[in-house]
Amino acid sequence: MNIIFMAINLAFALIIAPLIDGFERKVRARLQNRRGPSIFQTWWDLIKLFRRPSIEPRDSVKSFYIMAPYLTFTAILTACLILPTLLPHSLNFAGDLIVVIYMVSLATFGFSIGAFSSGNPYAQIGSSRELSLFMSEELVLAFVVGVIALISRSLSFEHLFPLPLRISSILALALLFVIIYVTSSRIPFDIPEAEPEIIEGPLIEYSGRHLALLLYFIHLKRFLLYGLFLNFILPEKPGIRIGGFLIGLVILSLVYSSLEAYYGRFRIDQAIRLMKKLSFVAFIVWIMAMVGW
Amino acid sequence: MILDILRKNDAEVIRHDERLIITSVPNEKLEEVAKELFSANCYYATGVGVDERGMSQGFAIYHIFNSENEGKYIVIKTFARNLTIPSITPVIEGANWAEREAMDMIGIKFDGHPEPERLILPDDWPEGLHPLRKDFPYNKRPPSIKPKSRVKKKDPNTIEVPVGPYHPALHEPESFELYIKGEEIVEAKYKGFHVHRGMEKLAESRMTINQIPFLAERICGICGFTHSCAYCQAVEDAAKIDVPERALYIRTLLLEIERIHSHLLWFGVVFHLLGFESGFMHTWRIREDFMNLAEILTGNRKTYGMNLIGGVRRAIDESKKRKVMRIVEGSKRDTVEIFDNVMGMRELLNRMENVGVLPKKEARGIGVVGPTARGSGIDTDVRIDHPYAAYGELEFKVPVYKTGDVLSRVLVRYEEVLESFWIIEQVLDQLPQGDIINENYKIPEFAIGLGATEAPRGEDVHFLITERENKVYRWHPRAPTYNNLPALPIMLVGEKLADAPVIIGSIDPCFSCTDHVSIIDAERGKILWKGPLNEGVRTWGG
Repeated sequence: MNIIFMAINLAFALIIAPLIDGFERKVRARLQNRRGPSIFQTWWDLIKLFRRPSIEPRDSVKSFYIMAPYLTFTAILTACLILPTLLPHSLNFAGDLIVVIYMVSLATFGFSIGAFSSGNPYAQIGSSRELSLFMSEELVLAFVVGVIALISRSLSFEHLFPLPLRISSILALALLFVIIYVTSSRIPFDIPEAEPEIIEGPLIEYSGRHLALLLYFIHLKRFLLYGLFLNFILPEKPGIRIGGFLIGLVILSLVYSSLEAYYGRFRIDQAIRLMKKLSFVAFIVWIMAMVGW
Repeated sequence: MILDILRKNDAEVIRHDERLIITSVPNEKLEEVAKELFSANCYYATGVGVDERGMSQGFAIYHIFNSENEGKYIVIKTFARNLTIPSITPVIEGANWAEREAMDMIGIKFDGHPEPERLILPDDWPEGLHPLRKDFPYNKRPPSIKPKSRVKKKDPNTIEVPVGPYHPALHEPESFELYIKGEEIVEAKYKGFHVHRGMEKLAESRMTINQIPFLAERICGICGFTHSCAYCQAVEDAAKIDVPERALYIRTLLLEIERIHSHLLWFGVVFHLLGFESGFMHTWRIREDFMNLAEILTGNRKTYGMNLIGGVRRAIDESKKRKVMRIVEGSKRDTVEIFDNVMGMRELLNRMENVGVLPKKEARGIGVVGPTARGSGIDTDVRIDHPYAAYGELEFKVPVYKTGDVLSRVLVRYEEVLESFWIIEQVLDQLPQGDIINENYKIPEFAIGLGATEAPRGEDVHFLITERENKVYRWHPRAPTYNNLPALPIMLVGEKLADAPVIIGSIDPCFSCTDHVSIIDAERGKILWKGPLNEGVRTWGG
């Protein structure tokens, strides 16, 4: 039975992730005084790209270059199986929180490897930015995981959800909220892609199917991180949970995309400085959790 | 003061009035004169090479200096001896491009030029062919030669990042080679002049004097009106034509509308480069009002087609005046509102503060103009220094900031927009009655004229020599970006790659305008003629 529910979860993720992006594009457009495309536009883009052939640049390291999109996409799909999303069913094992985080990191890593091996200077600059941003947010994330583990005495999703109401858990969730925003590479943190500066950086050489996979990965990653956040706050009762999850998705994407419309892009050093400050905050929250607040 | 310098150096003064000094300086005294003029606080505006064999005198270069203190332009003419003229680039850096351009186009050699390389002609253009000489037919297409291959030394510690010829941050084909270490730019090179439309040659060989205002307007897709104004002023100056006052006021009105729409467009672009998309969309929404306003007044959203020699083509009646007033009122509120928001966005300001600094001394040496100069503490504005159109009778301030960074250039432009609103209100208030055009004039032969306007990007100079009844012998437009671009490497070196687009954007570069001043490919000129200009031109285009 569990396997069917997991399949439903996965199918839901695959279908809804591009739709969320379409919805966010619409929201941003309205805030920017535009009409914006239909919310299905992201889907149409993906379908178009999947039909197109992919080209490998002459200067690239072909094996890595082709492998990277598949590695990235597989990693994020695996994470979708482990983390409960629409339905509270998933592959359950001790320490699955760590595995999800590891899978998301692996996907980011694959993303950068592909860019590095493309041989394009813009892609290389983009992926080195991607990695330095990733490193700087990792420290904050580590403290947040530490706080969560301390509060619920476990690293398994089964015992994590929902988090008990404490000062440190609220603060940890607030930090998680920020990290999710940073990781999903939104303005002002879209530094690795930065279209006017380095022309979509890591994505610059990818085309067709491979590009579609990488874009799909970005949408899935955002969906997954929304799911992670919602899991921590939703109650466990099945009926309320599904409704709450759907409403939560809409609210989160509304909030995130409105934030995005009102910022300019950071420079990488500014972003890293901000993340350093945040990791200090995260450290304090961790100490608070230690003393039992 | 300036006359003293000229007299001391055996210069022969050809014309001297309150706007312009034209002198002829002997070959060997040129460098001395240039040096003394520069230390007398005149900056180098532009240089024009002329094939004067049609006037039976050989080849000459006209160096044009701008003296803001005395409110005069100084034109220094020097004849080439054996096709050679001493270079003044060692004394004034700003003359570099102008001399190389004359080298390519006319074939004058410059003695002592530090980098006598091709600037404008493409690599596959044959040696010894100079397109702006009078014996070069405008429709000739020489066979291409195999370009000399350039061997590049590669430094393993730096990465070469090509920005252009096609790059989303540049909206025109132009290329920068940036050499970076990590994220820091260690060297920047500019390679331009990819899009040549051969406007000068076209105007000189097959257009009449009253058609060129429409060609001049097509130099720029953003600030075209200021070019046609400068051209008309150059002819009016050469032929001593009195322009009716009403026409001058209408020109001023349109120039200011153009400035506002150009600056708003630029704000949008800068916000986009900084990733602030909402600001981009909203400034362009306000700009739309000004496009409509231009349509109400001229019938066109862009490329107004209003100027003729001696005046303008359409008057403005009371009902239009009221409409303009209403739109200006609303847009002013919106502009201020957006800027109040922007000034509250700390992270956006951080990306502009102390970025791309251009010190005053370097700025003066290169001769940068417009908001780029005013952001570096140079108080220069053609509207004040050499009043044209109706600016002499209006009251307005010229904002100057000292820091020389991107932010100061932004602030200069913002305050200029507010001043422009004020100027428009004054013009509408004082608009005189009367004729709008004076068509009773005669064009003298081989008369020199100079027209200068303050385009949104800076000083725009048109130099002109008339020919017989109805033609120009030499027309040289110099767009402001031509003077501002050489300053970019100074601003870029030592900055982060992430800041490169906004630094390049901060001078509001208009690459095509810069490129227009030369001829390369007659065929590309065809693109110009898609607009309904007149029958003759249309047949040429087809």
